Order: sequence, then structure tokens, then C-alpha cells
Amino acid sequence: MEITNIDKVFLIAKRDLDRFWQSKQWLAGQIAMNLADIFIFALIFRGIVRRDLIPDYLKFMTPGAVALATFVAAFSIGREVGMEIRRNTVEYLLTLPVSRQNLVLGRVLGGMLRGLIYQLVFLVLASIIDSPPTLVQLPVLVATSVLLTMSMSSLAIAVSSISRDFNIQATFRALTYYLLFFFSNVFYTKQVLALRFPHPLPEIISITPISIAADIYRWCFNYYQQLDPQNLVLLAIWSLALTLLASATYLRNLTKR
Amino acid sequence: MNSLATALRQIFLLVQWDLTKILRRVIFVVMRATWFAVQVSVFGLALAYMVSARSLGLDTQAYYKFYLFGIYTSILFSITASRAYDIAEEFEEGIIEYHLSLPMNRKVLAIGRAVGGGIASTLFTLPMFATVVVLAQEFSIEAILISIIASLAFSIGIAGLVISITLSIKSGDATDILMGALDAILVRLSTVFYPAVVIKSIAPYYYSVIANPVSHLADLLRLFYSFEEFKALAIASPLALASYIVGLSIGFSFLAVYVVEKKLEGGGWR
Repeated sequence: MEITNIDKVFLIAKRDLDRFWQSKQWLAGQIAMNLADIFIFALIFRGIVRRDLIPDYLKFMTPGAVALATFVAAFSIGREVGMEIRRNTVEYLLTLPVSRQNLVLGRVLGGMLRGLIYQLVFLVLASIIDSPPTLVQLPVLVATSVLLTMSMSSLAIAVSSISRDFNIQATFRALTYYLLFFFSNVFYTKQVLALRFPHPLPEIISITPISIAADIYRWCFNYYQQLDPQNLVLLAIWSLALTLLASATYLRNLTKR
Repeated sequence: MNSLATALRQIFLLVQWDLTKILRRVIFVVMRATWFAVQVSVFGLALAYMVSARSLGLDTQAYYKFYLFGIYTSILFSITASRAYDIAEEFEEGIIEYHLSLPMNRKVLAIGRAVGGGIASTLFTLPMFATVVVLAQEFSIEAILISIIASLAFSIGIAGLVISITLSIKSGDATDILMGALDAILVRLSTVFYPAVVIKSIAPYYYSVIANPVSHLADLLRLFYSFEEFKALAIASPLALASYIVGLSIGFSFLAVYVVEKKLEGGGWR
């Protein structure tokens, strides 16, 4: 029986997914962190945050935590890509009967699946804490998750393949991670940012992929009443651009010595 | 007298060992420094604006100051707790067995590692501490000195705790899981971001916060600098907080001695 190109891509993705489940310690720490953000940080802050700015901080932050959890899980593939480059496992990957384009596609898909699976628990939590998405909101939610995970796994792969040096890899990955994590509207609204920081910082923060995804999730879980369609378009552009750019970078760095 | 001098010299060598280890971790330094910079700038400033400081009896600037001392405590805790990963690595590389084979009393070895871990972590966070002092605009020399001493005592206690945990469970994976979860939960269930009074309505959270070592150091540092401003928000009096920190330091150092003397021999690392 002939293995098709699609099968090959899925086999590569499955390998990355299997490795994800093997990182039990990382997963446990990450789940503890995400749950603590919702059930401790957001719950306590609900009592002290100014209601004129954010009426219910727990409901505001929970969809944002979904975006964060999804991003972090998809981003985790960067660690493995970096390790493969350092340990020359990449040579083994290049000898597989898979075209390089399919190899890259499989890796991006693997990262994407990690994010999508990891976020399931948090989607249920958000449905309970806020309210479940309607049938109209559901496809938007799925599309947002796919776009977010695709762009974040691509970004992590590209950043980790920049160098063979562990220090450089980890520094770039951490810097990208912190920038996306804190420079987002997961913890604070655009209004707070606009009142507190000079232009154009609030505008920049509001158009990062995590911020856009968090806002769409807030609509999907009925925290916001209206969806800005521009957000979906922007997220699609981000996703397409990052995936193309990152795939090209990874393809180039696969054979760079 | 001679044996005391030998013990002190050996502790000094162990402290040097821990200092050299932390200095080699360039990537760790860059990551923590970046994390700290973002925490005190974007995150801290936005949080201070969002919080209804008046309901806490503070103004926005005072809440930011409250937050700064909290965030310094959290980074000191995280960095000290990360010694667990070093110790796990040493176990995997056989360095722990090498340490055990040295002509050194086990008590000295345990105390030396706890003190070394504490000193290395405190020194590592000094630039961050200086940043906090500048941002809070609190330049009292006495407060700075006793804050550093309190931070050192706290850090020695936490180092003793992580040494005891890591060497007891003897598993790299379990250490990773436990330390990740402890760090995530202890920092959030403390007075780093919010005073204990706002959590009174959630009893399990409240009692966890007032038992948490992180809360004790954070509140103690705040009282050292702005007693009048923060006395109503602290979980205890300065004397009680200081006694807790001293007890933590001595108690966990002795726990480390017990673990090194009774539980470590025989390998069994998983």
C-alpha cells in the first residue's frame, strides 16, 4: 500500500504529538499555571479591579487564558525543533522519504494539534465561567484556534531554528514568548492600555495575534456582544504571513551548516 | 575551634560552588531579567491603573509600590526554587555522589548548599532589587540593609526546602512537576499581587496566603520601607513576620541536614 503525501504529513505531525504527551512535567506545570491564572489570579482580582473599567475580571480574563493556553501549547514545539538542530537529529529527519515541504508542513501541523488538543479543557472552562458559544459562534471559535495555533507553532519553529547554539535559541524563544505574553490584552483591556501608555503602544498591543484571538474568544464566549470582523481578517493575515515566513526560515535552516 | 574553622572553610567552598554555577547560566539571567523588566513596566503599570486602590486604602502610586516589593519577592522565590533543577542535574551527572564522597561532614554539606543557594540567588536578584528601590523611590539605607538580610534569610530557607524536596523524591520528572506547580500556585496564593484582606471571603485561599512564606517576605519588605502606608494590609506585625522568616531559614536548613544525613545515601535516582 502506497503512503500518500498527506499520510506522510500526518505521520510527522503524529510524531510531534506523541512527544507532547511524553513531556508530562512540562504539561503538569503548564496546566497548573493556566488554572492558577483563572481560579486564583482572576478570581481574586475580580474583587479589586475597578468595575468601571472591567465589570467582571474573571469573565474577562478566562477567554484570554484560553488564548494564552493555546499559544503556549502550540509554541512548545520550538523546544523540540531546537533540540533536533543541536543534536543533529535533523539529519535523520532529512533522510526520511518525505519532501522537505511536507516535513515542514507536518511540523507546523504537529504544533497546531498540540495547541488545539491542549485548549479543549480550557474551552469547557470558558463555557462554564462565561457562557457556551452558539452554533454561529462555534465555527468562528474553531477558525480562530486553527489560525492562532498555526501561526504560533510556525513562529516557534522558525525562532528555534535560527541558531545551533542553545543559549541563542532559548533567548530568542523566551523573548518572543514574553513579548507575546505580556504585550497582549489578555490581562488588561484596550481602554486601560490607552489610558496608561503613550501611543502607539496600545494600538500595537491590540493587533498582536494573541490580543486578536483573545478578543474573538471573548465574543465567542459572549463576554463581548459584537465581533469586529476586521479581527478575523487580521488574524488570518498574521497566520498566513507567519506560517509562510516561518516555513521558509525552517526550510532554509534545515540544511544550513 | 579548629573543627569550626574547617567547617566554615568548607561552607565557604560550597558557597563558591553555587555562585560559580549561577554565574554560568547566562541564558537564565537574560530570561529572568527580561521577565522582570516587563513585569515592573507594562504589566505592573497597567495593573496599578486597573486596581481600585482606594478600596484597599491606597492610591495608585502606593499600589504600584506594593506591587514592586511583591514582584521582587516572587522573583527571588522563583530563582531560589530553580536551584531544584540544578540539584536534579547534579544528581543525574553523579555530582551529588561526588559531594557525598568528599571529606566533609554531611551537616556541613547540607548547610553549605542551603547557604550557597541562598547567597547565589540573593546576589543574582540584587540588580532587580536596586531597580525596585529606585522605582519605589525608597532610599533608606537601614531599610535597604535589613531588606537584603531578610531576603537572604528567606532565600536560604527556600533553598533548604528545595534541597530537601529534590533529594527526597529523587526524580528529575517529579522535581520538574512539583517545582512548576509550586511556583505557579505559591506566587499567586500570596500577597505578591493583592493584600490578604481582599481574600478574606475565600477561606482556603486566605489561610494559604497567610501561611505562605512568599507573603511573609513581601509584607516584611513593604513594612521596612513604608510602615505607615502598609501596616493595615500586612498579614502580621513586623516582629512576627521577621520571626517567621528566621524560623523558615533555620527550620528548612535543618530539614536539608536531616534529608542529606538520612535519605540521600544509596542513590536511587529515577
